[in-house]
Amino acid sequence: MFLQFFLALVYGNMHQIGAPGQMRAPFWCDVVRGAPFVDAHDILRGLDHRDRCMSKKKTRPTLSFQDLILTLQQYWAERGCVIMQPYDMAMGAGTFHPATFLRAIGPEPWSAAYVQPSRRPTDGRYGDNPFRLQHYYQYQVAIKPSPDNLQDLYLDSLRVIGIDTAVHDVRFVEDNWESPSLGAWGLGWEVWLNGMEITQFTYFQQVGGLECRPVTGEITYGLERLAMYLQDVTSIYDIVWTDGPLGRITYGDVYHQNEVEQSRYNFSEADVDDLFHTFDHAEQEGIRLIELELALPAYEQMLVASHTFNLLDARQAISVSERQRFILRVRTLARAVAEAYYASRESRGFPMIASVGGKSAQDVQS
Amino acid sequence: MSKVRDFLVEIGTEELPPKALRSLMDAFAESLVAAIDDARLEHGPAHRYASPRRLAVMIEALAGEQPSRRVTQKGPPVSVALDASGKLTAAGSAFAKKCGVLPADLTRTISDKGEWLSCEIIERGQTTAELLPGLVEAALAALPIPRRMRWGDGDAAFVRPVHWVVMLHGATVIKAEILGIKTGNKTRGHRFMAGAPLRIAQPADYLTELETSGHVLADFEQRRELVKQGVEAAAKAVRGTVVDGESLYDEVASLVEWPVPITGSFDASYLKLPREVVVSTLTGHQRYFPVADKQGALLPHFITIANIESSDPQQVRRGNERVVHPRLADAAFFWDSDRRISLAARHDSLREVVYQHGLGSLADKSARIAALAKWIAMELGVAPNNVLRAAMLSKCDLISGLVGEFPDLQGTMGRYYAQHDGEPDAVADAIGEHYLPRFAGDALPAATDGQILALADRLDTLAGIFSVDKKPSGNRDPFGLRRAALGVVRILVECRLDLDLAAMIRVAAEAQPVGKIGAADVQAELLTYVSERLRRYFLDRDTGLAAETFDAVLVREPSSLVDFELRLLAVQAFIGLDSASSLAAANKRIANILKQAGEPGAATVNEKLLREDAELALWDALKAARDSQPPLLERREYTAALNELAKLRGVVDAFFDGVMVMADDKGVRSNRLALLTELRELFLNVADISRLAVA
Repeated sequence: MFLQFFLALVYGNMHQIGAPGQMRAPFWCDVVRGAPFVDAHDILRGLDHRDRCMSKKKTRPTLSFQDLILTLQQYWAERGCVIMQPYDMAMGAGTFHPATFLRAIGPEPWSAAYVQPSRRPTDGRYGDNPFRLQHYYQYQVAIKPSPDNLQDLYLDSLRVIGIDTAVHDVRFVEDNWESPSLGAWGLGWEVWLNGMEITQFTYFQQVGGLECRPVTGEITYGLERLAMYLQDVTSIYDIVWTDGPLGRITYGDVYHQNEVEQSRYNFSEADVDDLFHTFDHAEQEGIRLIELELALPAYEQMLVASHTFNLLDARQAISVSERQRFILRVRTLARAVAEAYYASRESRGFPMIASVGGKSAQDVQS
Repeated sequence: MSKVRDFLVEIGTEELPPKALRSLMDAFAESLVAAIDDARLEHGPAHRYASPRRLAVMIEALAGEQPSRRVTQKGPPVSVALDASGKLTAAGSAFAKKCGVLPADLTRTISDKGEWLSCEIIERGQTTAELLPGLVEAALAALPIPRRMRWGDGDAAFVRPVHWVVMLHGATVIKAEILGIKTGNKTRGHRFMAGAPLRIAQPADYLTELETSGHVLADFEQRRELVKQGVEAAAKAVRGTVVDGESLYDEVASLVEWPVPITGSFDASYLKLPREVVVSTLTGHQRYFPVADKQGALLPHFITIANIESSDPQQVRRGNERVVHPRLADAAFFWDSDRRISLAARHDSLREVVYQHGLGSLADKSARIAALAKWIAMELGVAPNNVLRAAMLSKCDLISGLVGEFPDLQGTMGRYYAQHDGEPDAVADAIGEHYLPRFAGDALPAATDGQILALADRLDTLAGIFSVDKKPSGNRDPFGLRRAALGVVRILVECRLDLDLAAMIRVAAEAQPVGKIGAADVQAELLTYVSERLRRYFLDRDTGLAAETFDAVLVREPSSLVDFELRLLAVQAFIGLDSASSLAAANKRIANILKQAGEPGAATVNEKLLREDAELALWDALKAARDSQPPLLERREYTAALNELAKLRGVVDAFFDGVMVMADDKGVRSNRLALLTELRELFLNVADISRLAVA
């Protein structure tokens, strides 16, 4: 679980590579950083009809999927975060967006919030499984230095999307991540909503072998999972994306075909020879670009290598013994990029220290 | 002048790790009390508290200051402090002034290095308020925290971010900055069930104020008891009893500040899954309590402890049911799909799974286990068919879906799958039992096949990891080798398997791929390592056993641990005999004489050279004992053997009273040394009695 988690965090969709049997890892092992879920058969529907009717009366109008995103965007924008857009490359988790991974490095203050589409090719189920997807969404918040009231800010965001903390049992349950060979680790929690993991909450301590000073606080919401809970639906594909004047559109309308076709591509059609070539090339380019002190382009090559590895994994093209070697190659690259990025900011005199000001870890206004 | 008053310190944090909470609480209280004792502050009983968001210690009747004490202040040397006429110089006057005394009150201290002015003064103790911040900080710094974290842009490091610190001596706040936080008298209640920070008027109010106004039960033991009672009552309400509650109460009590039991249900069709699968699904990640009926069969309910008195508890229940349901559905899916592939059919795939770098794949490991298991079976005279089959299949469940999901079910699932595949019961049971014992006090494999497999698996692991130079060092034991070695000891001793341990270790070591460490070295190191566990095992098992007794037997290097235990029991019985101390002393004396003689005695005793009555008497007794011993030793009747030898006490004592061993005549001397060697060897047949510490 530990290993899996750090891989999920650092390598996104490479999270399967740790222990044997990861291919079969169920949705809840990678709840937030992986795919969301809900009841498969909803046996409870019959049993709990009365409860549902009662609880429905009390709750406010349910948020659509896009309302959920818009509400979080608005909330974190008002708290002062830079609202970023998704990074335009395939990656396994929001942590991979340079706005988190790279910005966590070095002394400059930073805060960002964004949606990040995340891909984990081996999680594809051809659209048949109601709680597993090879492409899903994370909502990511990264603030450095982590404000003293970060937990409270997060809890307020839950209230804003309709989770009444006087009704529901919300808890912070220890869950840490670590990557010794990357020199990356953090401590924190998974957040439980009535026993269901809905968020990962982490204080970064080290990234790329570099001590995190100040510390970045990272919040990662599992959007589909939250939406299923809020909308009380039992399949991802039943999530209402929007219900406006132009009609009611579900998650299935938007993404089901994509899941079917991408699953087929990931598992059967991706050109293995070409992927191996792509991996090698990305690695070489990454190394070359680091030598040229081009940290950001080098980082993108690391993203390419990482995602390509995951596709090769889905194609079962990498044997058990080779796999460790591949992982090591990506790690080596990621570490070198982290150092190059730090050096690049240092050579610029860490400009954001001056531009944002020495705002310390006081409470962010809520 | 400060008075004796209660003291309270509370560190308010973000949610602490549940598995570490109790040890953090204990360590904080213990090191704080130790620090306060070291500072010579008198105090009454100490109370420790902890919840997810706080660690606290309350100490009754803490003195307001250290007691005063008389100390000798050393001043300047007399040569500097006094002038030729014996009057104080400026330096001498300055010292008197500093001490606050008249020159006449100064004394002198003389040592071999010279003479100094000195002054007896009464040192006023420091106040508690001055001392406490440092003491609390020292106690916090000493906490057993594997990894401290920082937060924000501060330098403070702790288990989790710290938000408030209460430090009160009576009604007075002890002002300080602890972990970057200014101390005060305000604590915080429950995250969702309390309002503004709560003022603690005095330490004695702490628990009550938190409970009544804060909805927080800060007393760990009380909260744990409430969790236990709540879970038991909830189980009773669905006409059931809690399954395995004790293993979870501590952790669950560490996850809540205000425990509220909630009973959830799941579809009864999932009860068709193996019981262990349902239990693991509920207890694993979710920490739910399973419920069973009077016959022990699981009921389709679980109990969870929420951390809130919800205004709509049904929503909490339904939410938790939503979590459990898909997990059970997934387990059911794996249970069905796993059984479509037989264990035997999975064996080939083991080649793809690396066991450990340098030690091959899981297939390689199973093959080594099989070879060793076969060797052991032959030694025991057991037909090896079943254990061989079980060995080859023993690791196949590791690549099944359910074990991937619930690693704790390794072996357990193997047994189910073997039964499903139609393997013989003995094979299925051996697979199921070969991970036993999993922890201290756990059951041992019941059948011989399982015992053999368990031994072979552990010895292979030990020899393998030793051969790649990864044996445990310090507290680090990532491969669980201590547990494995202890398992070997327990199985051999408690299942009474009369096997040659050294030979087994040799077979295991020689089967390893060529690693960093050669087989001979692995063998030697491993034997020492297992002997260490053996020592711990016997000393822990029997508190009356002295380490010397163990050593007395260990010297004999009994190859079978069954034999080892028999000798140990015999020596312990021997210690109870009247003659024990005299004979132990005699053996010690003989060992010393032989060591110091500087010459070997004669090869055999020559009766013609025996002159004294006492030595003749000893020789006659020795001859008799020499004849009576072999059949007793043969039958391992070590107690009887030592009883026989105990009868020698009289002649041995008489010998030392009346005979001079190191006689001038070389022949006589040499003959007497031979006599003593005979005597010593007789005892050594069982154990080295000279090592015993007998009063």
